[in-house]
Amino acid sequence: MTRRERAIAYAEEHELTYEDRHSLLHIVLPLSSLKAHMRAFKAMGFNYLANVTGIDYLEYPEPKPERFAVVYELVSLPGWKDGDGSRIYPRVYVPEDRPRLASVVDLWPSANWPEREVFDLLGLVFEGHPDLRKILTPEELEAHPLRKDFPLGETPTLFKDGRYIDPEAFRAGLKGKDKGLTGWRGGRRKGERR
Amino acid sequence: MNPEAKELRTEEMVLNVGPQHPSTHGVLRLLVTLAGEEVLEVVPHVGYLHTGFEKTMEHRTYHQNITYTPRMDYLHSFAHDLAYALSVEKLLGAEVPPRAQVIRVILNELSRIASHLVFVGTGLLDLGALTPFFYAFRERETVLDLFEWVTGQRFHHNYIRIGGLKEDLPEEFVPELKKFLDTFDHRVDDYQGLFVGSPIFEARARGVGVIPPEVAIAYGLTGGSLRASGVNYDVRKAYPYSGYDTYDFEVPLGTNGDTWDRMVIRLLEMRESARIIRQALERLEPGPIRDPNPHFSFPPKELLATSMEALIFHFKLATEGFEVPPGEAYVPTESARGELGYYVVSDGGSMPYRVKVRAPSFVNLQSLPVAAKGHQFADLVAILASLDPVMGDVDR
Repeated sequence: MTRRERAIAYAEEHELTYEDRHSLLHIVLPLSSLKAHMRAFKAMGFNYLANVTGIDYLEYPEPKPERFAVVYELVSLPGWKDGDGSRIYPRVYVPEDRPRLASVVDLWPSANWPEREVFDLLGLVFEGHPDLRKILTPEELEAHPLRKDFPLGETPTLFKDGRYIDPEAFRAGLKGKDKGLTGWRGGRRKGERR
Repeated sequence: MNPEAKELRTEEMVLNVGPQHPSTHGVLRLLVTLAGEEVLEVVPHVGYLHTGFEKTMEHRTYHQNITYTPRMDYLHSFAHDLAYALSVEKLLGAEVPPRAQVIRVILNELSRIASHLVFVGTGLLDLGALTPFFYAFRERETVLDLFEWVTGQRFHHNYIRIGGLKEDLPEEFVPELKKFLDTFDHRVDDYQGLFVGSPIFEARARGVGVIPPEVAIAYGLTGGSLRASGVNYDVRKAYPYSGYDTYDFEVPLGTNGDTWDRMVIRLLEMRESARIIRQALERLEPGPIRDPNPHFSFPPKELLATSMEALIFHFKLATEGFEVPPGEAYVPTESARGELGYYVVSDGGSMPYRVKVRAPSFVNLQSLPVAAKGHQFADLVAILASLDPVMGDVDR
C-alpha cells in the first residue's frame, strides 16, 4: 500500500473531502485541526515539504468555501530510505476576516521561507512561525501584492511630453473590460466580478 | 576555561555582506554574526530582485507568459519554459509530438550544461581560482551560440510553445551540436584536472559545509546539492517527464554532503547531460513539432497565405489567446538547481488565475545558515557558491 493510498484511507477515515484531478491528490483539511492532520501525514512518512502555495479565490468563478486557500505539497522522498515518491496536496481554506492558520515549520523546517512568502504576498499569518517577517517585497510596502484586489500597474507615470498614464485606465485596457489607453481590448477573462 | 583565556575572548561582530558583492551571485544580502573569523549566525535577506512575475503572469495570456518564465532563472532558463509549458499542457490535455519532445530534451540538457559551466567557473572563482572561469566560459559560449542558432536568443529563448515548439531546428544545428559533443567530454576532463585533486581545493572544500541527508531533506534541499548528501532524488528519474524515462543515464551521488561533493557532482552531471543529448540525437526523426489542435497551437506559417481558417485561428490566438479548462496542475521537473515546478490555477479564462513557481534556489538557500554555522568566514563564500543559488530564481 503506497503512502498515497494510505493518505486516501486516512481522509476517508476522518471524513475529509478529497479530490484526485490532473494527478494531484487534494485533501481539504479543516482550519481548526490543520496541525493535527499535518502531524499525522508526517508520521505516515511524508518526510519532505516541497512547497506552500497561497491562492486568493476572490475573483474565482466557481464558489469556494473561503476567500483564501493554502496548498501544501508533501512528498515521501524517493531515493531515501523507504520513500515511495507519493505526493499529496493537503489544502486548507482560510477566511478573509481572520486570515490566520497554524505554521508547520516545527514539522518541516523547509516550510520556513515558503510560509514567509505567503505571509508577505497574501497577508496570511502563520501562528507559531519562529521568524514571520516580510521576505520579498520592500520593507515600506504595507500591502500584499498577490491579493486579487491589489491592482497591477498602480504607479502613475508622467512622461516628458506631458502625457500622463492613469493606472486605472491602463489596467482596464489590460483586463479587457474596455479599450483603456492602448486601444487594445485584452484577453477575455471569465468570472470577472468587478 | 581559565580566567586569562576569558579575557582574550573576541567580541562578537555583525558584518553586512552584500547586496552588491561579487560572490553573492546576484543581489543577496547576508547579515553575518562573527566571533573573530568564526561564523556564529547567518541571516540571509532576499527580495532585491523581486519583480512580481507571479502577479504579472496573472494578467498576460498563456503564450505571453513564456516571455516571463526564462527571466527568473537566467542560467538554466530552458527549464523554466519547459516546467511552465508542462503544467499548462496538463490542464489542456495537449499532446506533444515525439520530435518536439526530443528537441526539448536536447535543449534542456544543453541549457543545464551551460548552467553548470557557470557554476563551475564562478564557484571556483569564489575560491580564488581564476583559470577555470575562462575555460568554462569558452564552452558556455559555444552552447549559447547553439541556442542563438535555434531560438534567436542566448538566454531568454522563448522557443517553447504550449503543445510543442515555435519552429523546427535549423539544418546546420545537428552537425554543429555533434562537433561540440565530440570535444565536450575531453573538456570536462580538462576542468576536472584543473581543480579536482588540487591540494588547495581539497583544503578549502573537503569537510566544509557538511549537510547530512536528514538535515538536507528537512530543509528542503533538492538537485545536485541534495544528491551530494547521498539522497538519490532526481526528478527526471523519479517523476519522468518529456520521455526522460526512455533515456539511459546515471544519477551521480555524493557521500559526504560537503562543498567538495557539491562541486564535483555538477561536473559528473555535465557528462550525463552530454550522454542524454547523444541518445536524443539518434532519435531525432522528422515529424510535426506542435500538437495539431488549432485551438491552442499556431497554424504553420505557410498556411496563413492560403487558408482563411488558419488565418482566423492565428488572429484569435494572437489577440485573445486560448482558454484553458478550470483546474489546478503542477508538474515537477529537474532544473540545474533542483525541483522546479509551476503550480498553475486556471479559472477557464485565457490568462492563468494564479501561477506559483516552486523555485529551487529559494528553497535551497534556506539551508545556508545551517551549513555555514561554525565555519570560517571565507568558507561561507565557498558554501554559498556550492549551493548554486540564482537570485533571479530566489526572488522572482
